[in-house]
Amino acid sequence: MTIVERVARLPLVTTDLAALLRQVAQRDVDAFATFYDLTRARVFGLVTRVLRDPGYSEETTQDVYLQVWRSAANYDPNVGSPLAWLLTVAHRRAVDRVRSEQAAGQRESRYGAANVELPSDHVADTVILRDERQQVTECLGSLTDVQREAIQLAYYDGLTYLQVSERLSANLATIKSRMRDAIRGLRRCLGLT
Amino acid sequence: MTEPTTPDIVAMATPYALHATTDAERAEIERQVAAAPPEVAEAFFAEVRAVRETMAVISAATAIEPPASMRERLLATVADEPPPVRQLPTRQPPTQQQPTAKGTNRWRTTILAAAAVVAIGLAALGVGYTLRPAPAVSTAEQVFAASDVQTISGPIPTGGTATLVFSHEKDAGVLVMNNVPPPAPGTVYQMWLVGEGSPKSAGTMDAKAVAPSTTAVLPDLGTSRALAFTVEPGSGSEQPTSPAFAELPLI
Repeated sequence: MTIVERVARLPLVTTDLAALLRQVAQRDVDAFATFYDLTRARVFGLVTRVLRDPGYSEETTQDVYLQVWRSAANYDPNVGSPLAWLLTVAHRRAVDRVRSEQAAGQRESRYGAANVELPSDHVADTVILRDERQQVTECLGSLTDVQREAIQLAYYDGLTYLQVSERLSANLATIKSRMRDAIRGLRRCLGLT
Repeated sequence: MTEPTTPDIVAMATPYALHATTDAERAEIERQVAAAPPEVAEAFFAEVRAVRETMAVISAATAIEPPASMRERLLATVADEPPPVRQLPTRQPPTQQQPTAKGTNRWRTTILAAAAVVAIGLAALGVGYTLRPAPAVSTAEQVFAASDVQTISGPIPTGGTATLVFSHEKDAGVLVMNNVPPPAPGTVYQMWLVGEGSPKSAGTMDAKAVAPSTTAVLPDLGTSRALAFTVEPGSGSEQPTSPAFAELPLI
């Protein structure tokens, strides 16, 4: 497979997800299976990064896909891409789970223990993801340390922006700017703007 | 930044989209956006979309294959899951009134006091209504297996739920009433098939017939468009004498 073929397949995947969601809304189990196969590594990986517990991560990932099965008809293409919709659902559920566990006092000490890098033997092994992962990792690396830290604490550790500001002893406006600038930097680096 | 002032609410778009707010903050942000001028709300949502699309791409960085067993569990779960149940909007219960000793308010008051309904248990009444307690297991099985089977469910204003699984192809339905309070003494719940012409009684149910979960087979749907529930005096009426307090559409 050539590089050109890999790159060319990315937009196709996006297009296919919207069509698959319409079929899933018609209770098409095969379409659901395909949708799962195309997205499972991203969803499970994100949930695992936030929850850092295999059991919780499997439960939460299953809940995410059951929500897809039951509410695919609610997906509105005007609001965003299918992948953004799916990962927003997944991230919200993972963060809710983290906070409820945190409220129960089970996870506090693990905050800040991980960074954005992943052990390479756990990564999803598809050509597209490997290719994209390299670019994305480079873009994360292009952020300033304080920008990356803000994204790490808020997005991957599930802290609120108020908690982030306390953790970093920075005021709220500064934290909000760092988050916004981090997103803008990523968009530029990824060619999304 | 070139823009001189970013409205505070737009500055909250990134933390909001990253789920970096508490639930209370989230609700407050949504309230403020709803109340904001359209151009501010647009700017807010544009930023939210941008963050979400960006993080969707970033998800490649954390991708991990889930266990293969998860795929099997998920597919088995969705394959077994029945079609979604249509939910009726909740109907407001009638306003409470003090009973009057006589007159037309009497049955209305009864509705308020007792309300709920439920289908079934005609056998307990020993009355020859159309509705019968599920003796016809085969009818129920036929309904469940029908290619056009549908499920409709709605809350009963005074408590409990009425669910009807029905098939026009089989011309029958199975009614399940859960946790519906019994009718007031001296009254029954009566079911009506509503379509062209006068409502047709589909059976009654008194206090003895009400159970935490009651099931009945409802044959002869015909061209009925709805199953309605009323409270009727004595052992039932030829025609409804009070407004329906619940109704399940059959189309």
